[in-house]
Amino acid sequence: MKRIILIITIVSLTSCSAPTNLYTWNKYENSSYNFLKNTNETTTNKLSEEYQKIIRKQKGIRGAVPPGVYADYGFLLLQTNNMAQAKEMLQKEIELYPESKIFIDKIIKLTE
Amino acid sequence: MKKSIITLLLITSVVITSCTSTAPVLKSVAYKGMYDEKPLVALIMPPINRSTNIDAKEYFHSTIYTPIADAGYYVIPPFLSMEIMKKESAFDAELFINSPLNKFSEVFGADIAIFTIIHKWDKSSIGSNVSVEIEYIIKSTRTNEVLYTRRGEIKYDTSVSTGLGGIGGLVANLAVSAANTAAAKYVDVARICNYYILKDLPAGKYSQNNGTDGALFAGANKFKVNLSAQ
Repeated sequence: MKRIILIITIVSLTSCSAPTNLYTWNKYENSSYNFLKNTNETTTNKLSEEYQKIIRKQKGIRGAVPPGVYADYGFLLLQTNNMAQAKEMLQKEIELYPESKIFIDKIIKLTE
Repeated sequence: MKKSIITLLLITSVVITSCTSTAPVLKSVAYKGMYDEKPLVALIMPPINRSTNIDAKEYFHSTIYTPIADAGYYVIPPFLSMEIMKKESAFDAELFINSPLNKFSEVFGADIAIFTIIHKWDKSSIGSNVSVEIEYIIKSTRTNEVLYTRRGEIKYDTSVSTGLGGIGGLVANLAVSAANTAAAKYVDVARICNYYILKDLPAGKYSQNNGTDGALFAGANKFKVNLSAQ
């Protein structure tokens, strides 16, 4: 009996803690909507914070920063004239996702 | 959050779904083009809004990126691509849905372009029900073939009950942002519609199900469903 209870408990705990999605996004979509609807300093800062959180901590199955996040964070940094850090983010996008090179290289050239 | 959404969708769709019944088809058959071409890079086109709600475009545009990335695809950075499309006067997707797409392959490196058509977004007069009719068309940028299409009529009851376990508890989690503003509530509705329709998307390269999910049954390509928070 004890063994059955133990097995059920382990299965329950495992199923609760295992990630089910490739990535975690926190409150990205609401911040993204607010930025899209009304781009200003507040919505830009909020979205920027979301990107930083997504980059800092990933609890998804892959444990990797989702596609597009480094690059779009780089885009926000470009908007705020933080060129060096923006280029760094764009380069990280290419390193993590080589398939982005065709497009991201064009953006990097536009900044030079 | 996403786990709650998926769980909620699974439960509610079993309980109160009214999908049109068709003979089951394997995903590898229903979306043969996707399995043949094995696209990796996805470009989100700005949603085409044919509804009477001017905000519906932004609700969908801000929530379509995450389910496609979560399905295992590389998604061209949505804000960066939007900026370039605006500069190149290519922000109206209606202009491209029936045109050659090879330019999007050259400029963005995209394998597929994802078109969204919002046919209807109606709110009930009492404000808790939203009726959405939405269509997704994924086209190859190389062959212009339609690789994936689904169209759904989704009625969603946004009223929530808090302090409950079970489905009510899940919905309470889901609707944390809904307490703030009406806009946040409708972003949630768009997010749920996107997840519901795109859950059939063949698993992309970065998904653990890549190469194996073709043996699963596909959902109906046209369907009606009632989703409820209760």
